[in-house]
This record gives sequence, structure tokens and C-alpha cells, in this order.
Amino acid sequence: MGTESWVTVGASTKPGSAEALTEALRALESPAPPKLVVALVAPHFDLATIADGLYEAKPGTQVIGCTTSGEISTAGAMANALVLWALGGDAIRVTTGSGQGDDLGLRNAATEAAHCLDQLERRSNTVLMMLSDGLCGDQMEVVRGAYDVAAIDVPLVGGCAGDNLAMKHTRQIHGRQVLTQSVVVAAISSERPLGIGVSHGWTAASEPMLVTGSKGNILSSLEDKPALDVYLDFFNPPENAKTDQTTFAAFAATHPIGIRRRDKIEMRHITGFNLQTRELITIAEVPQGALAFLAEGNFNSVLDAAGQSVQSALAALNGDKAVGLFLFDCVSRRAVFTEDRVHEETDLITSTCRNICGNIPMAGFYTYGEICRTKGAGGFHNQTLVTLAIG
Amino acid sequence: METSWSLHLLSEILSAFSTEDPDNLRNVVNRVAESVDAEVAAILCEGQITWCIGLSETDQIQLLEQAKQQPSNIPIRSGDLHACWAPIGSSDVLFVGRLGERFDLEERALLRAMARSIELSMIMLLAVTSERQARNDAYQQATHDALTGLPNRRMVLDHLRATIDHLVADAALVTAVLFIDIDRFKWINDAHGHAAGDQLLIHISRILTDSVRHDDLVGRLSGDEFIVITQSGDRHAASQLARRIIETIRQPIKMFGSELSHTVSIGISFVQPGDDPSVVLENADMAMYRAKALGRGRYANFCSSMRVLAQQRLSLEENLSHAADNGEIRTYLQPLFRLSDNTLAGFEALIRWQHPQHGILLPGSFLNQAEDSGLIQEMDMIVFETGCSAIAKWQQIPGLEHLRLSSNLSAHSLADPRTKERIKAILETTGINSCNVYLEITETALVEDIKSTASNIIALRNLNLRLAIDDFGTGYSSLLYLKRFPVAVLKIDRSFVNGLGLNPEDDVIATTIISLARALELKVIAEGVENENQLDLIRELGSDYGQGYLFGQPMSIGDTERCFISPRRPHPAVLTTP
Repeated sequence: MGTESWVTVGASTKPGSAEALTEALRALESPAPPKLVVALVAPHFDLATIADGLYEAKPGTQVIGCTTSGEISTAGAMANALVLWALGGDAIRVTTGSGQGDDLGLRNAATEAAHCLDQLERRSNTVLMMLSDGLCGDQMEVVRGAYDVAAIDVPLVGGCAGDNLAMKHTRQIHGRQVLTQSVVVAAISSERPLGIGVSHGWTAASEPMLVTGSKGNILSSLEDKPALDVYLDFFNPPENAKTDQTTFAAFAATHPIGIRRRDKIEMRHITGFNLQTRELITIAEVPQGALAFLAEGNFNSVLDAAGQSVQSALAALNGDKAVGLFLFDCVSRRAVFTEDRVHEETDLITSTCRNICGNIPMAGFYTYGEICRTKGAGGFHNQTLVTLAIG
Repeated sequence: METSWSLHLLSEILSAFSTEDPDNLRNVVNRVAESVDAEVAAILCEGQITWCIGLSETDQIQLLEQAKQQPSNIPIRSGDLHACWAPIGSSDVLFVGRLGERFDLEERALLRAMARSIELSMIMLLAVTSERQARNDAYQQATHDALTGLPNRRMVLDHLRATIDHLVADAALVTAVLFIDIDRFKWINDAHGHAAGDQLLIHISRILTDSVRHDDLVGRLSGDEFIVITQSGDRHAASQLARRIIETIRQPIKMFGSELSHTVSIGISFVQPGDDPSVVLENADMAMYRAKALGRGRYANFCSSMRVLAQQRLSLEENLSHAADNGEIRTYLQPLFRLSDNTLAGFEALIRWQHPQHGILLPGSFLNQAEDSGLIQEMDMIVFETGCSAIAKWQQIPGLEHLRLSSNLSAHSLADPRTKERIKAILETTGINSCNVYLEITETALVEDIKSTASNIIALRNLNLRLAIDDFGTGYSSLLYLKRFPVAVLKIDRSFVNGLGLNPEDDVIATTIISLARALELKVIAEGVENENQLDLIRELGSDYGQGYLFGQPMSIGDTERCFISPRRPHPAVLTTP
């Protein structure tokens, strides 16, 4: 049984796909080939070039990846970059899988992808890392589909691929395949601990409201009133946000909706509206019959949540030293921080790690939704930071 | 005061029961677990797990083993599951398991309420599903043809109406209606039975469905009538589709052990904004009749003059149904001459209709309708019987003992096993020498159903009748049936005789047919001989007999007797006074 695990991270902001890949790969130099490389790719890159290049450079390595709405590397928050997160060591075992979804959603795709667990040589700790198309159906179904296979013993972490907020289409990588409307996963098993943390920092701004009409990711009414009207009346955003999708989406990124759960509030990211039907479009289901809150956060509350998420993940290693982090950070949190100050979140993460375990490599991306199931059966989040710490 | 969250969770569970979603039970199980932060939820029914989330297969077996005792804790690999068991009806159970915190009183009450909700929802779902299924079945029956599963007339008209409503006058998209009718379908039903007819309808419905695009509509109007509604970029696409359908359907199919050849005729009508759907179908129907009149297995586009023709045809069909009973079917005879000595050899009996308003009608104007309606068999027999009577009488005249009669036998009659008995009775009644009787059949009639035709032909041969192939060279010209059937005579079609000396291809064909006949020891009759030049040529080529206006046009039996028989009667001895 091996005991060693390691993480390396490479990044590049060069505009060309091939040259960015070359630069990012250079930083991944390691004594042994990695078991897994996760490619976090700004949408302007040619994913086929990236996938083929990774296959040629690391032929024995499992590869998954996706497009993003911003990337994170050890150096901090990035934009229009290619970031590679490599995991290796004799303590680590990895299998990967993918499933093709359709217009009806990703549940079956997630189940199919999660079946890569069947081939995994299980070690002491196992986690399923998932990257899904965040613009394809209700993302709750991704968690449900994977949970059908992973069951109680395997935690789920992951995020929804992005497209720099264009909200048109996202792509995923599995091996040399470039996919869309799909779920790609890596099943990671390690002899050493794996820690997971999750936190958001949003608070309820409105009174609780009954969700009187919703189906899938369409929220039609709150307290029997059109959901869009309730939302606009409460927040009274700038006039152009009431009619223009792009402006509205930017506003909604910092004004999500929360759902009351047993001992927590689950956040839902609002991606748009339908002016004719006066409905809100969310990234995942806001269930009919649920209690919902209109939520808001401020710079400090959201920033604090980042520290909490990382601390929780590191604490879950039970004293074992972390060798690296993977971060699934909601794109709307980046909007709260603004581009000028987005580095403050990654600075906080770096300093938190330094205080607990020293400098460690980290990578991640800004997502359209985050997955974290460690207890219970659910685990889809929005406006949240999910941290995976590798012990 | 804020309402208890548990009531809202219950409301969430109920709303998860969507009658639109076939996976709703799976979704409900997920929601139950998510609502109470439980890792495991399952529905157990009579010792089996209907649906379960959160447990591996090994752990599910352990759950089943303990289900009867319903313990409050179940140990699994990840730790102790705190259990909550809630009955669903009398035999099912909702199981919810959670690691960590035990379920408190409120949660257990909530889960029992959820179980009861699931029970009620399942009953409601069952009722809604049954009702929806019944409604769907009723709609299906009302709008679809039971045999082929295709949309029926009602749905075709609805679809056509909707298509017309969405048409834009200057749009590039052309909408066409193809009216498809199986040629001689009644004959197929009569000859092979309704089961074979049904099988053919299903076969053709599949071909049509495979021939069109996904957005096109294929429907069955009634009987052997099908409809295709298609949209394309230009009018030629409809003609191309019609040609493709005709060619595909023309391929013979095996049915009940025999090979059946069949064709369809197609009428095409183009749709304009504001058209009445029923009129569009009528137009396509008229075009289809035009296609049939052109010779079946063809297609025709609708034009406005067809409406007048259709009215005439309807009137004709109405009158035709009474023609036989009213004695309006007449037999005309056309002489046949032996070319070696230029002597009268016999006559061909030809059908005419003495129409009460239009006078004598030639077969081309009513034969298709007679075949489609099945009246052709009765007409065949009327002509045959009248011809036999006349020839039998004339055979009594010295020198005319070997006078022969040729009479046409339609595909309908040829395929009907009862024909033999009727012919036998006519032969006996009229007293004609059957060795001098030739039954003329077309190549098409022969090959339409070789197996059943063969047995009937053998039965006719046993009556000492001879077989002549009419219009040889225009159909399949297969050597197979010349070998299989007792054919005695080949008739060279008039189209080849007309071209002799003018069209080298016709010379070659006529020469080939005669050579073939000689090799097979068959006699040859050249039809349509109209002038001395043609007579010289067919004689030179070696034809045995000639028939045509040069020798005599078809005429009534009375006129025939006056022109051809009376002059050949022996002159009575002149009585002289002593």
C-alpha cells in the first residue's frame, strides 16, 4: 500500500490553445506521471487541441475537464486561462467516466458516468469528483443520478461547467473526447484522508414565501404571484435589469434565492427570466411547496464563507497534512467580489492554508453550480464554495 | 408566525407526484431523503425493494433481511443507520435511514404523513393514468386506422386543415397531397382472401411510412386508399416521391406462399392557402383516376378539367353496374385470316357496351371501372357465351367446321377457380367444339399470381381449350410462363405491326417474337394489320395469321354473319322445272 500523494498545478494565460497547454504542462513536471489531470479551460480555447495534447503528453493519465467562467490556480483567481490540476502518488487510485445527457437532463448521464466507481480499486477514502454541463436541465438530477451509484459511502464533490456567463453552451472533456450536455467524473480513492468543506455566506433578505408554482428549473410563482414580479418588486433593481436578460443575470448573480432546509438554507442561482410568462429561471429546482427566501450577501459575509469552507476541508483531514486543494467556487461569488477584488478570496484561502499546513498548490474554477454531498441525499448548491482537500 | 417547515416539506413531496413524469416514484424517494437530510430512503413492497437510494447492493440485502423486524438501527459499513419505518397502505413500507442524528418526534410524524401522502398519490396517479390511457385509447381509435395504425380520414382532414391554415401565399414551401390507390385491390381480396388483402395494406402502409420524411403525414382514408401530405421546396419533389413509391410498391411480395405483383396509382394535388381540405382530397382523387386511366402504376397531377371527367366517370360507373342486367353488353366479332392461303380462320370476340345515351362504347372507356368493380367477370362470360353460340352455329356450315373463336379472359376471371365451371357449362350449352376455342389472356394477368393462375389454367386446359397470349411483347415477355403454361398462340401487339417497315426496332421485335414462337412450336397472330404493305411484311416474317381492319373491322354478330358467313354458305340447289 502506498502512502504518498501529491498535487501539482500548471496554468497559462497565453491565448493560443497549444502554447497555453505547453506552458501549463511545463509546471506539472513530476517524478512520476500523475494519476489524474483535471483541465479547467476558458471557453475560448480549442478543447480538442487541449484534450489531444494532454493525451500525447501524459498518455497513461486519466483526464477530465470542462469550460469555465474563470479559473483559480495557486497564483490566485484568473481569467481566460488554462489551469491543469494534477494528482498523483502511490496512495492514489483513479478511474474516470462520462455520460451523455440530452434535452431532458443529466440524471441518467450522471448515473452512467458514476459507474466508473465499479472499476475503482478502493482505498481508505473515496470521493467522486463531477463536472457537469451547467446549462442542461435541473442540476439536482446530477447529484441524484450519481448518488444512485455512489450511495452512502462515497461523497460527491463537483461543479457545473461555465462559458464566461454567455449562458449559451458549455463543454466537457473526458480523455480525448470533447462533450456537451454531459457529465464527466473522476472517482478518486486514497490511502490518505480526503477533506471536504462547503460554505456560502448568504443571508435571507425577505420574509419566507411559499413556492406555489415550479417545475424543474422554472420558478413560476411565489405566494401565488408571478415569481419575476415578486422578485423585481422586492429588490427594485435598475430599470434595464427589468427587461434586459444580461443586465438581469448580472444583478441576479448577487441576489439569489434560498430554500429552507432542515438545518440550513440551500442557495439557488437565478440565471434569467421569461418576460412573457413572468417566470424566473434557476440553475436547479426550487421545489413547489418549499419555503423560499430572497437572499443577499455582502463582500465580507461571502469572503468569510471562503475561509470557513477551506478550514472545514482541512479540518476533515484529521491532522493529516494537505498536499493540495481543489475549489469549486460559484461564479456569482466572483461577481460579489468584483474583478478588482476577486483576488482577496484566493488570498484568504492561501493564507488560511499557510496558517494550517503551509503553502500548498491549489486549482479550481468559477462554476454555474456546486456539488457537495457528504451527508443526507441531496447536495447541489449555488453561490457556494466547495473545497476538496487532498491529504 | 412562520409555518412549520415540515408542512412545507410534505407539500414538496406531494408536488413531486407529477402525472407527467414516469419516474415520479424515484423522484419522491429522493425528495423524502433530501427533506429530512437522510442518506437512505426506500419503498419496500411485499419483501422486495421497489426503489432505494443510498445503499449498495450488499446493504440493500441486509435491509431486506431486517425489514420484518423493523429495527430502529441498522448497522452498515458507514455506521449505524437510524431507521424510521412508515406504512404505505397495508403491505408496503417507506423506510428512511439517517447516519448521525436520530429522527425526532416531529420528523417521524412527518415521515408517516409522507408515507400516507405517497399512498394517496399512488392511488391518484393510478386513477389518472388509467383515465388518461382510456382517453388516449379513445382518441387513437377515433383518429387512427385499426389495421395499419395510420391516421384515418378524420385525422388526415384535421392535419390538412391545420396545414392549410398555416400556409403563406408566397412561401417557398410547396404542400402536396398524394392520393394513393392500390390497383385491382378487389381482385386481390377476391382471389386471395381478405387476410391477404389486409397483409398487403399493412405492407403498403409500411412502404409509404418509410418513403416519406418525418414531418410528412401518411394516412389511410378507407379500403385501399392512402394519403400522403408532404411539404417540400418545389413541385417536382412530389412527383419524385410518387415515382419512388410506385417503384418500391411494384416489387413483388411473398404472401401466403405465393408471389404477388401489384401496383398503385397516385394522384397529386397541390394545396393553396384557403383551400377546402375535402376539395383538395377530391382533386387528388380525380388525378388518381387519371393515372389509372393512363394505364395503372402511374401518377398524374390534378388539373381543373379532371373535374368534368370525374363527373362523367361517376355517371359511367353508375350505369355500368346495370349494363349486364339490362342486356347492354354486346359481343362484336373481328375476323382472323390464315395468311398461307388468305382464308377465314375464325373470329375474336370483343366486348362493346351499348350505352343508352352515348351509344356503342369501346372497352377503353369502361374496362378499368369494370375491373375495379369486379363486373368484368360477368362481362367476360357474356361475351364468351355469345361468341360461342354464334361460332357453334356457323361450325355447322360445311367448310366452316374448324372456325375458331378467340375470347378474352380478364385477370379476375383467370384467378377465379369458379371460371372453369362456368366455361364448361357454356361449352356444353352451346355445343361448340372446344378444340377451336382460344382464351386470350394478357401477360400481366399471367404473372400477377402465377401460383393460383397456374392451377386454373391447367383446369381450363383439361377442357381442351387453347391459350393465347394477347399483346405479347408489351408486358413482362417472360419465357417462364411460355414454358409453364399450355400456350398455343402468341399475338404480336398492334403497336409493333404499326411500326413495321418504319421503325427498325419494331421489325426486330416482331422478328424475334416469330422466331421464338417457331422454336416453341407456337402459332403467331399479327394484330392491327391495316394495309397491304403491313400484310406483305408480316407474311414475309412468317406470321401464321393476321387480324386487323384490312381483313375486317369488329362488327355485330348479325353484320358478321351477313359479311363473312352468308357468302360462304353453299348455294342452294337451283330447282328447275322438269
